[in-house]
Amino acid sequence: MEKRLNKKDFDNFITSLRGKGYKTIAPKKDNNLIVLDEVQGGGEISLDHVITNNSIKEFFFPKTEKVLSYRMEKNNVQIEEPEDFAVKSVIFGSRPCDAFSLPVMDKVFNWDCSDKFWVQRREAVTIVTIACDKCDTYCFCTSVGLAPDAKGGSDVLFTKISGDDYVVETVTEKGESLIKEFEGVFSDPLSEASDRQVATVEKKFEIEKVKSWLDENFVHTVWTDFSLKCIGCGACTFVCPTCHCFDIVDECTMTKGDRVKNWDGCQFKMFTMHTSGHNPRSTQGERWRQRIMHKFKYYVEKFDSILCVGCGRCSRVCPADMNISEMLEIIATEASQPGNKE
Amino acid sequence: MIEALRKKAEELLRSNTVNVVFGYGEGSTPERTRPVFITKPEDVNKLTWNQYCVYNLTTYLKRQETRKLGKPAIIVKGCDAKTVIVLIKESQIKREDVYILGVTCQGVGEPLAVKCKACDVHTPRIYDDLVGEKVENKELSFDERYAELDEYEKMSEKGKWEFWQKQFEKCIKCYACSNICPLCFCDRCIVEKNQPQWIDPSAHARGNLSWNVTRAYHLAGRCINCEECQRVCPADIPLNLLNKKLAKEAEKNFNYRPGYNIDDELAMSTYNAKDNQDFVK
Repeated sequence: MEKRLNKKDFDNFITSLRGKGYKTIAPKKDNNLIVLDEVQGGGEISLDHVITNNSIKEFFFPKTEKVLSYRMEKNNVQIEEPEDFAVKSVIFGSRPCDAFSLPVMDKVFNWDCSDKFWVQRREAVTIVTIACDKCDTYCFCTSVGLAPDAKGGSDVLFTKISGDDYVVETVTEKGESLIKEFEGVFSDPLSEASDRQVATVEKKFEIEKVKSWLDENFVHTVWTDFSLKCIGCGACTFVCPTCHCFDIVDECTMTKGDRVKNWDGCQFKMFTMHTSGHNPRSTQGERWRQRIMHKFKYYVEKFDSILCVGCGRCSRVCPADMNISEMLEIIATEASQPGNKE
Repeated sequence: MIEALRKKAEELLRSNTVNVVFGYGEGSTPERTRPVFITKPEDVNKLTWNQYCVYNLTTYLKRQETRKLGKPAIIVKGCDAKTVIVLIKESQIKREDVYILGVTCQGVGEPLAVKCKACDVHTPRIYDDLVGEKVENKELSFDERYAELDEYEKMSEKGKWEFWQKQFEKCIKCYACSNICPLCFCDRCIVEKNQPQWIDPSAHARGNLSWNVTRAYHLAGRCINCEECQRVCPADIPLNLLNKKLAKEAEKNFNYRPGYNIDDELAMSTYNAKDNQDFVK
């Protein structure tokens, strides 16, 4: 189904959604940041940005969440599990790269066990994406097989046309039924095809070359050389829409406690530290290699998907200006010059 | 200035005075630089200098990967040079194990970093060699140095509490603030210790409060105000406001400014019967 909506009617859309009990999440300004967060009306929505600082993942896999509570009495343990964590919501105005991260992550969260927190939220949330009309030097979606107007992972896609009009296309049945539910908000599509305002994202490397080089170069000086400036923080992994490692901790007293799931990241020195004191990834070079290998080799082999959507957030926030697309360009270039292997 | 830096770096590497030069190179965009580690004289052209050289490179004096490169020459602005003094005083490096390549600086960042607005170290106070024309350092009064706190200090206690609660709520516990900090040099941070678990690792209200306050407290009387924690925070938390407030209290109570004079005794690890607290007597 195709419809049309003018920017001035975004408020009507948001208000109508809220009227029907949907929680509405959209990009809005917060001091120096643009964040995906709950909005009460369309006026709060920011449209003049490349990408939000936070990724979409926190609405499915929050930075911290209680997975259960327990209480121990003599030989009896009582367990209480959280309910109502999946709230009927619409995420409006996320980017196509963020939306695409969701089907990529579905694979791991439904792998050897089904993560109910992820799965139930995926069912409860509808994704209404706005195609990118601009990009910056950090964007590289086209190098990992996506596009600034890619539809994968979105239920509905908005694309800007002339004036402040947007073409509204439904992508999934879920999207179709959402737009039908609020049909009165939308206008009919224009009879003539109009120019779509979509960013041109330069292709920086050939992804096929990256994989074949990684297959052969677990040991290579590039890992250490490139990561010398890395300070070993977790900023890249936490802002990443596809990094999904977590840690489980108990916050407890002698008799009761909460079991909590927290984001964790492979760039931390402690991430692989064994109780014995041995650390199989004892240097930052090994930890950096892990980040690249996981995204562009291991996940591809296991789930047939690249674990990267080219959003560029990791490069934007990196305290030391480690730039992931630059790393991948180096790798693709190395792959084109056989004989460079260590 | 760039040419002078490159020439000096080349000289130091060729003469084997140092094994590596920690400096600034071109970054992902023209408005960004990045740390570079030059080990070969023929690579000195990778060095640059401009208003975007915000990094305090002394953080690489603590990292095992960069320590392995051998004796460093490190390019420092006046503010960064203060870190070297603190690191020497706190026995993290020996004076003779680092070659301090000072640069004079008129301020960095676009817009100009807050720290630069009240700068009294345009010329570093310690160096082995200085590149750039020497600038007379301004003497700033106590009030001038802490002027950025004026607005903050006007807030009521309740207002401050609400302000920090709102700020810390944004924290994602990525620990960029402590990893970038040249003075957060513990091999194992208190937040990584779990027997007992001093600080909740979770990024909820309690965990974020205890982390951010503990980080700041560990820097009281030590922080030299390089603002790196604030620059790198992906959640845009004004972390340096906390540091600056604690620095002010430390100076008020102990008349001590970290990193200004290598002969000064440290505020936090020196016993002095003249201290104005009763408990030391």
